[in-house]
Amino acid sequence: MLNRIWGIAFNTFRESVRDRVLAALIVIAILVMASAKVIQPVALGEAEKIIKDLGLSAITLFCVLIAILVGGRIVYREVEKRTIYLLLARPVRRYEFIIGKYCGMMLVLGVSLVLMTAGFYLVLLLTGVKPEPRLLWAVLMTGFELAILTAVAVLFSTFVTPIASAVFTFVVYFIGHSTQLLRQLAAISPAPIVKFIGMFLYYVLPNLNNFNIRGDVVHNAPLNPLAMVLSIAYALVYTFTLLLIAIFVFNRRDF
Amino acid sequence: MTVVNQPVIETVRLSKSYRTGFRMKRVQALSELNLQVEQGEIFGFLGPNGAGKTTTIKILIGLAQPSSGFATVLGRAPRDPRVKRRVGFLPESPYFYEYLTAVEFLALTAQLSGVSRSEIPGRVRQMLKLVRMEHAAHQQMRGFSRGMLQRIGIAQALIHDPEVVILDEPMGGLDPIGRKEFRDIIVSLREQGKTVFFSTHILADVEMICDRVGIIVGGKMVEIGRLSEILTGEVESIEITLQGVSGKFRKGLERIAQRSIESGDLLLLTVKSEEDVERVLAIAREAQAKVRSIIPRSLTLEEFFMARVKSAGRNGGV
Ligand SMILES: Nc1ncnc2c1ncn2[C@@H]1O[C@H](COP(=O)(O)OP(=O)(O)OP(=O)(O)O)[C@@H](O)[C@H]1O
Ligand SMILES: [Mg+2]
Repeated sequence: MLNRIWGIAFNTFRESVRDRVLAALIVIAILVMASAKVIQPVALGEAEKIIKDLGLSAITLFCVLIAILVGGRIVYREVEKRTIYLLLARPVRRYEFIIGKYCGMMLVLGVSLVLMTAGFYLVLLLTGVKPEPRLLWAVLMTGFELAILTAVAVLFSTFVTPIASAVFTFVVYFIGHSTQLLRQLAAISPAPIVKFIGMFLYYVLPNLNNFNIRGDVVHNAPLNPLAMVLSIAYALVYTFTLLLIAIFVFNRRDF
Repeated sequence: MTVVNQPVIETVRLSKSYRTGFRMKRVQALSELNLQVEQGEIFGFLGPNGAGKTTTIKILIGLAQPSSGFATVLGRAPRDPRVKRRVGFLPESPYFYEYLTAVEFLALTAQLSGVSRSEIPGRVRQMLKLVRMEHAAHQQMRGFSRGMLQRIGIAQALIHDPEVVILDEPMGGLDPIGRKEFRDIIVSLREQGKTVFFSTHILADVEMICDRVGIIVGGKMVEIGRLSEILTGEVESIEITLQGVSGKFRKGLERIAQRSIESGDLLLLTVKSEEDVERVLAIAREAQAKVRSIIPRSLTLEEFFMARVKSAGRNGGV
């Protein structure tokens, strides 16, 4: 089983690596971080924080883009191009396929994250900002946010087109960062239906704000280890649940 | 091992309907299809476009579920991994990961089929040789022609040395030499005791290599059996060529013949029976025409196929 999951995961990774989109996104991300060199003389005292914040935000943003753009099509493409026939005709169980695809995508994101972080630290060195290891906590939390987002993208890509999947995943990402708003909306709205939908979405959609600790990291605020551990546990449970749903949907499909 | 007499592939009242289009109209792709393929047989699955060949094959591979009825392969449900390990499959107009080289792709398929790591390179080389693709072994498949893809498709279907091989239009995109090579591969599979099931609409290939054929039209099996039973070899018609028949005799001859074709001073007549031959010859003698040839013709698979497709169409099968 692990052998087959690994086979599919590695192939997914190989596909993305040989695709220009991934390389382009990583290069652009590093260029954006490097653009901090330009602001440096302008923003005097705040420069250090801006450079750190820009770098960490760029890492998150571009990895999210990779998760949405590349992740949204990994399952669909196999179905559309009918390469999936060749996989499912072999002793590959359908859940192995979904997990393999997911792991492959996480491998892509892991490598992207490492490359971008390396680029980030290089930029810090070049701009003379102290490359504190503490910044890595923010990258780690981004990694777990990506785990959820990729599972969302994989789930969507089992039944909608890559474009729709990208749009839906982006919507989830966007709302996932505004879940507090949903709760407030539900609290103040007089209409029960709005209350219900607001609370429903609040509980069903992933709460992604917890994974954003960039502000604390950059501003040297104390980190809350318990909150981080809880967030990581949340990410694991949420991802697992989404993959179960994706497998359930996929198991019943005809090709 | 398979128990003797138990069919390797079996479908029982297999039906499949799809709902498609805006109004979810129901399309009956298969209706109550019965079929049995025995161990060591080459079975040709014939049918016009849209007859349901691919649908049947998808069910046999476990890619689709029947709406009713059932299918078994090697005595088990097609989706059982124990079955899949022993089955090789080539999809219709296959498309592979274009970013992989032929070798990388075949290694991946071998790995997924459970070929042990140490055996993979050897198997891959062997398969590339079998389908004569060694020259493109390390090329990315994005540049492959249709026929090259088809060859790789056959290689991946056989990479794990399956007992049962199911191929959907394997001759598609192959040139005449490729078709010949492919037929040789299939025949060699039979010699190894393997069972081959393939769909096609190229009748010549079926006539040359199949032990048995099934003809499917409009989702129904309209004929199934040995080629020798289907095409009994009985004389179906007799063609007589006469030379120098003058105009006044021609009318009488054309009345006897089912068909008559004139070309220059030659007259080609197709008649049904021996008696008709006698009658034609009598007139010919009277007309002092020369008899150039008398050729009995038996039904070809093509004629048989066309006739079955047509009659099934008339009965509302299509
Ligand atoms: N996924 C699907 N959704 C809706 N209808 C389908 C689907 N697959 C097949 N059909 C319908 O089922 C019927 C049989 O199709 P099938 O592909 O099995 O034919 P075929 O015999 O393989 O034809 P061909 O020789 O052209 O490959 C057709 O009417 C087709 O439109
Ligand atoms: Mg077909």
